Amino acid sequence: MKKFTNLLRKEIRELINKQLIISLLMMMAIFYFIGVMAKTEMKKAAATQKISVMDLDQSELSRGLAGSLKTANFEIEWNQEKDPEAAVQAAKQGDTYLLLVIPQGFGESIVRLEPKEISTYTFLRSFSIGGIRKSEILKAVITATNTYLSNDVLKKKVPDVPPDILKSPIRSKDFVIVKDRMAEGSASAISGMVYSQSIIIPIILFMIIMYSSQMVISAIAMEKQNKTLETLLTVPIPRTAIATTKMLAAGIVGLLSAAIYMIGMKSYMGGMMGNIRASASTNTVIKQLGLTLTGNGYLLLGIALFFAILCGLAMATILGVLAEDFRSAQTLMMPLMLLILIPYLLSFFADVNSLPLPVKLLIMAIPFSHPFLATPNIMLGNYAAVIYGILYMAVVFLVLVFIAARIFSTDRVLTMKLRWGKKKVVL
Amino acid sequence: MPTVLKVEGLKKAYGTKEALRGIDFEVQTGEIFALIGPNGAGKTTTLRIVSTLLTLSGGKVTFLGHDLKKEPEKIRENISYLPEEAGAYRNLKGRDYLKFMANFYEETREKAEETVKRAEAIAELGSALNDKVGTYSKGMVRKLLLARALMTKPAMAVLDEPTSGLDVINSLEVREIIKKFAKEGISVLLSSHNMLEIEFLSDRVALIDKGLILDSGTSQELKDKYQAPNLEVAFRSALR
Repeated sequence: MKKFTNLLRKEIRELINKQLIISLLMMMAIFYFIGVMAKTEMKKAAATQKISVMDLDQSELSRGLAGSLKTANFEIEWNQEKDPEAAVQAAKQGDTYLLLVIPQGFGESIVRLEPKEISTYTFLRSFSIGGIRKSEILKAVITATNTYLSNDVLKKKVPDVPPDILKSPIRSKDFVIVKDRMAEGSASAISGMVYSQSIIIPIILFMIIMYSSQMVISAIAMEKQNKTLETLLTVPIPRTAIATTKMLAAGIVGLLSAAIYMIGMKSYMGGMMGNIRASASTNTVIKQLGLTLTGNGYLLLGIALFFAILCGLAMATILGVLAEDFRSAQTLMMPLMLLILIPYLLSFFADVNSLPLPVKLLIMAIPFSHPFLATPNIMLGNYAAVIYGILYMAVVFLVLVFIAARIFSTDRVLTMKLRWGKKKVVL
Repeated sequence: MPTVLKVEGLKKAYGTKEALRGIDFEVQTGEIFALIGPNGAGKTTTLRIVSTLLTLSGGKVTFLGHDLKKEPEKIRENISYLPEEAGAYRNLKGRDYLKFMANFYEETREKAEETVKRAEAIAELGSALNDKVGTYSKGMVRKLLLARALMTKPAMAVLDEPTSGLDVINSLEVREIIKKFAKEGISVLLSSHNMLEIEFLSDRVALIDKGLILDSGTSQELKDKYQAPNLEVAFRSALR
């Protein structure tokens, strides 16, 4: 045991070097900075916005519309030009992002129930979220004004019937059912909220598996490049212990790095998605449907992630042996990266269960697919699928460890090389 | 003198290529035994097998009565191997590297510290042992590695080209260290291209080519047998 810990300590020391610490701190700082910037942008978008308004109508209705804009936190800058083109030019020179042109006769035509177009101009000075939100707020104001105006007309024309009933005679009550649970709510709102709340999970999984695998593959390659492996293989410690300590150290440092990475990521996501707040009712529905991760759910997800990391480490150990040096180790990461990337990307865009059977089987055969599938499966109560996934990963891990142990206990650890030029494995 | 290492009919094949075709030799306690031969003769393969780094394809290797095939761990406890192009962990300080290696051989911290002190005396690197190995010159790394190989007082040190790539002064120092330790009872199995080095260091020499031992004996015996002024000429004559 003393020899094992001696080796493990060395492996961890080798991995936690100045470069790793600096790159992690830098990454955290960058994410934090982006998060703060994004938050500032979102705050700016929510704060009072300038809007240039050209009112060629000067009617009670046009002034009412301007009043609605003020209520929606807009600061109105009256545009004194004579025609819309000149108004656009003038607004372009200023710092406003929006221009609203109310044409002459707007009020009268509304009263006569004749459609009259108002024009909105959005000056796309950046592609930031804040910039886009400004025009969305303006659109919301116009929609609200439309509702107000149409309701007003309807009230006058049909005073006995509420305008809402006239406009939407069919009322719908939406229910969402998950397994044996049912709750009233909009499926799209619930899906959107669950997605936004769980989007971080695949990112965490991806990073932890990648980090750990990258570390173990590089550690073995560096032993070869620095010519230290031969000496290490002749010291009195079982060969399997050499492979195990490398995997364990990479797992520990990988988890640690991912945790630090995630703190930065959380700040970044917090800034980006700070505006997305679930309404109390949506939250209640999500809870009623059990679409949240409970303690047991997190435990299952953790076990799935743990086995995925183990599979990644074992696979990286085998690939590391094939590497001749650090450079070739980077190339050898490619197949592993692809195996992690496929389920990672799929988790954002596709439902594996709806894929054709051969593709589905192919995806399920990739051990790294299972932790990505675990979150939706746990939320939807498909625990059997998660447990089968874990068992499958455990079997894959044992097979890989057996192969890795075989390689380390034979000459292959020194003689096995992947030669790109000759494109064959030399044993 | 008792036999430490006995190699009988040793064979090694890499796929279809036969690197060793049945070699026999013995190394006695405190003896420096050298393998000399051209590139690809099978010297490094022999040393790697004896150090348990590679498995053998045929024959038998016995070290201190332990069969290499059956008890490689027992052999690892009593052998130190210095590969030709060995390196040390660049991010570790010299002393930390020695401590790390000593911990594999010693049970207690006190004993490990004693072993490290012994290594410090062998390496003679002074305060440089507090620096990271990455800052060392090639000669310093070689001395550090030699100190690592000898600090545990192994029954046998297996040294592959111990002075490879070193300047004259460093080579002399390394040779003196090896000679001194052999006098203290450590057996040495080494390989080298440098015939002068072999003549200076070794008690007995084996001439090896294409996986076979052509001849063996003391340097003087070989020179006399082939009526050669030096080992280089003796080796050339043996090849013919």
